Amino acid sequence: MPPISGRAHDWASQTVSATLIRFDRVCVSAHGKPILTDVSFTLSTGEKAVLRGRSGSGKSTVLKTLLGLYPLVGGRVLFDDKPLDAATIQVIRRRAAYIGQEPVLGAEIVREALMLPFQFKTHREHKPSERRLIDALARLHLSPDILEQECRRVSGGEKQRIAIARALLLGKNLYLLDEVTSALDAESKRTVLEVFGDPGFTVLSVAHDPDWAACCDVVLELDGGYLTRILRDGNH
Amino acid sequence: METIDIALPQMAVLYGIVVLPWLLLGLIGLGLSGAIATGILRMSLQLALVGVYLKTLFALNNPWLNGLWVLVMLVVADWAILRRAGLKRRYFFAATFAAVTASVLFSTAYLLFLVIRPPLYYDARYLVPLAGMILGNCLQGNVIGLERFYTALRKNENEYLTYLLLGATRWEAVRPYFREAIKAAINPTLAGMATLGLVSLPGMMTGQILGGGEPWLAVKYQIAIMLCIFASTALACILNLRLSLNIAFNEFDVLKEEIVEDG
Repeated sequence: MPPISGRAHDWASQTVSATLIRFDRVCVSAHGKPILTDVSFTLSTGEKAVLRGRSGSGKSTVLKTLLGLYPLVGGRVLFDDKPLDAATIQVIRRRAAYIGQEPVLGAEIVREALMLPFQFKTHREHKPSERRLIDALARLHLSPDILEQECRRVSGGEKQRIAIARALLLGKNLYLLDEVTSALDAESKRTVLEVFGDPGFTVLSVAHDPDWAACCDVVLELDGGYLTRILRDGNH
Repeated sequence: METIDIALPQMAVLYGIVVLPWLLLGLIGLGLSGAIATGILRMSLQLALVGVYLKTLFALNNPWLNGLWVLVMLVVADWAILRRAGLKRRYFFAATFAAVTASVLFSTAYLLFLVIRPPLYYDARYLVPLAGMILGNCLQGNVIGLERFYTALRKNENEYLTYLLLGATRWEAVRPYFREAIKAAINPTLAGMATLGLVSLPGMMTGQILGGGEPWLAVKYQIAIMLCIFASTALACILNLRLSLNIAFNEFDVLKEEIVEDG
C-alpha cells in the first residue's frame, strides 16, 4: 500500500481547544450484559481519536453511546460540558455525522441521497446549489456523473464518500466514523484522510487501519468493554 | 319469507364437510390436525355462546347492557390486536383502546344516527352486529399496521437512525415506515371493495338475503358497512400508530427494546 501523504499526516500536530466530549466512568449494558465499564476519556474540539480493540470490545458502542443509542447505566457523558439529555442529543445530532462501514444512502439515485436531508424541516431552507453539490463530490474525488447513478450500483467505497459528501453539505463538524476506510482503496483512503484532516473537524473513529491510527492525536484501546490504554500525541 | 332452519342432525352432518380436507392435510404432514380440530371446536363454542348471549341481549334491549357488550368487544379486540402484533399490552393497551374505540364508535354512530336512524339508537339488532362487523375488520387492519410498522423500524434501524442524524425529527424519520404500514393496513379493505360482488358475495349481504331481505336492501346495507369499515380502519390505524409513537421511543428517539413481546 502506498504511503499516506499530505495534510492528513499533520492531524496530530494541529492545535486543539476546549474539551468537547467527556466520558466519565461510563457504563453501558445491553440485554443485561455490560458492554462498556468505567470508560473515561476526553476529546477536545479539533482532535482526532481512534478506538482500537478486538471485535466486541465496545468500540462502536462508544460512538453509539454519544449519539444516545445506548442508555447509560453508570457514569456520565458530557458534550460541551452539558450532560447527555434530550436537548444535548439534538445538539450532538445536529453537529455530528455517523458514517459506518455500510452507510445508508436512503434514496434510489445519488442526487436524491445527497438532497435527502434537505427534505427535513431543519434543512429545508438551506438546499445546496448544483455548484455546491459538485464541489462536495469533488472534495471526495467523485465525478459529477455519479449524481445520476443508482445508489445500488455504486461501490461500497463510493457509498462512504457520498455519505461523507452529504455530511459536508450539512456543515457537520463532528465525525463519528466506524471502520470508514475498510472499503476504500489506497487513493480513496488518502482522499478521506485529507478531508478529515480539516482542523475544524473533531473525529472519533473506530479503525483497525494503522495508517488511520497514525494520523490520530489520540488512540483509545479497549478490551472487553474496559478502556485499557490512552495514547496521545504520537506516542502510538 | 322464512329462513329454513338447520336442525341439529343437519348441523352434525355439516361438520362432515371438514373431514376430507382435515384427513388430507394430515396426510400431507402439515402438523395442523390438532390446531384445526381446536379451531373448529372453539369457533363452534364461541358462536354458540354468542347465540345465547345475543338472544338475551335482543330480548332485553337495554342500552347499558348493549353498551357493555360493545365495550367488551372493544377490550377483547384491543387485547387481540396487541397479541397478534407482538407488542406488549402494558405499554400499548391504552393507546390502542383509545384509537380503536374512537374510530369504531365514530363510524357506528355515523351509520346509526345519520344513515340508518333506527327508532331506538341503541337497538341491539342494529348496534351489536354493525359495531361487531366494523370492529372485526378494524382489528385486522390494526394488527397489520402495528406489526408492519414496528417490524420495519426494527429491521431498518440503521436507516431510521441515519434519518435522525441527517436532521429528521422523530416523525420525519418514521414517516416512510408509517406510510407503508398504513398502506398495508388498508390494502385488504381496498382489495375487498374492488372485488366485492364480482368475486364473492359478502357475508352481511348473503345473511340478509338468506334472512329473507330484499337484495336491493342488502346491497344498500353492504355499501354502508363497507364504507364504515374503510373509514374506521383507516382512522384507527392512523390514530393508533400516531399515539404509539409517544410510547415506543425513549427521550433520545430510540425505539425501546422492551415494547416487543419476547419470541
